[in-house]
Amino acid sequence: MIVVASLITYFQAIVLGLLQGFSELFPISSLGHSVIIPGLLGWDIHQNDNFFLAFLVATHLATALVLLGFFWHDWVRIVRGLMRSLQLREIKDEDKDAKLGWMLVVGTIPAGLIGLLLEHPLRHLFASPTSAAFFLMLNGFMLYGAELLRRRAPGPDELEPDPDARIARRLNWRSALGVGTAQALALIPGFSRSGATMGGGLLAGLSNEDAARYAFLLATPIIGAAAVLKIPDLLGPDGDGVRGQALVASLCAALTAYIAVRFLMRFFHTNRLTPFAVYCAIAGFTSFTYFIAT
Amino acid sequence: MTKRRNLILPAIVLAVVFFALAVLYWAEPAHSLPSLIPGHEAGSNHHHVKHGIAAFVLSLGCLVFAWFQTGPSNTEGRPA
Repeated sequence: MIVVASLITYFQAIVLGLLQGFSELFPISSLGHSVIIPGLLGWDIHQNDNFFLAFLVATHLATALVLLGFFWHDWVRIVRGLMRSLQLREIKDEDKDAKLGWMLVVGTIPAGLIGLLLEHPLRHLFASPTSAAFFLMLNGFMLYGAELLRRRAPGPDELEPDPDARIARRLNWRSALGVGTAQALALIPGFSRSGATMGGGLLAGLSNEDAARYAFLLATPIIGAAAVLKIPDLLGPDGDGVRGQALVASLCAALTAYIAVRFLMRFFHTNRLTPFAVYCAIAGFTSFTYFIAT
Repeated sequence: MTKRRNLILPAIVLAVVFFALAVLYWAEPAHSLPSLIPGHEAGSNHHHVKHGIAAFVLSLGCLVFAWFQTGPSNTEGRPA
């Protein structure tokens, strides 16, 4: 009990919570930043420490709840569509909500399975700040590649004002599976889940705005499920000494996640992934050089 | 959506197999699992809860797939 009292300070909790909310939704890898930033600041916090994993549960749950709230009306339509299709025992082409819902299911299952089976070994294999910085640099190149593809992607369809219907029409089952599976890349600290799914969406022919929207819809169940699965860690012995800090951090994460999703949905209406690609490449390269040198 | 009714029975069988596997992962420690099943570790008392959840999700997926194959035929759509 003497040790757990100083596991993580409230100041660190606020910084990490604010960072988590932003970096989970910006295509810059929240996991990578949660490894690199403590390393750069000299904090004695490690990605694989049980208390830190328990602490992160709360921030992830907060982010998922913010996403759920932000897209609440979409989720209500999607769930109704799923129920309707189950009742009819078919997914009608004209039922865009049902089609989008099953595409999200098809995209979530493989990433969820890979996450369940490989999260632990991958996290241990690539947990060092040096490898996270290197993969953050690669994430920048991945985003730049997606940006190049965005230039060739069609713009928003003026004839279809409903973005969910546009997504359901543009994506097919194979691309939904591919975009969803791309989320698994985020198990490696440094690679971004939203970056991988946005890139996948662009590759599948979505506009930049629709790719971002689809990435956020895809992120909600998987971030939420991962957090819910780990809640026992936070409530159990691993959470001793960090629950108060986790609560503060989750409030901070919720605030920045809300700001981030609002900002990004407007940003991608007219803008590109390039600034994030440049940031990841420079931040990754600088951090990698620093960790190698020190 | 094209219906493949000949896949209904195999999908149900797979669903049952995955469900049984999920129960096995939840109920038995790693050392008690048959050696051909992923996660078997001699001397380990660890329960592979996550493996069980993965198997359960696959079981549900197979059941949903089978359910949709029992629906009315529709030749207009593309295969899922």
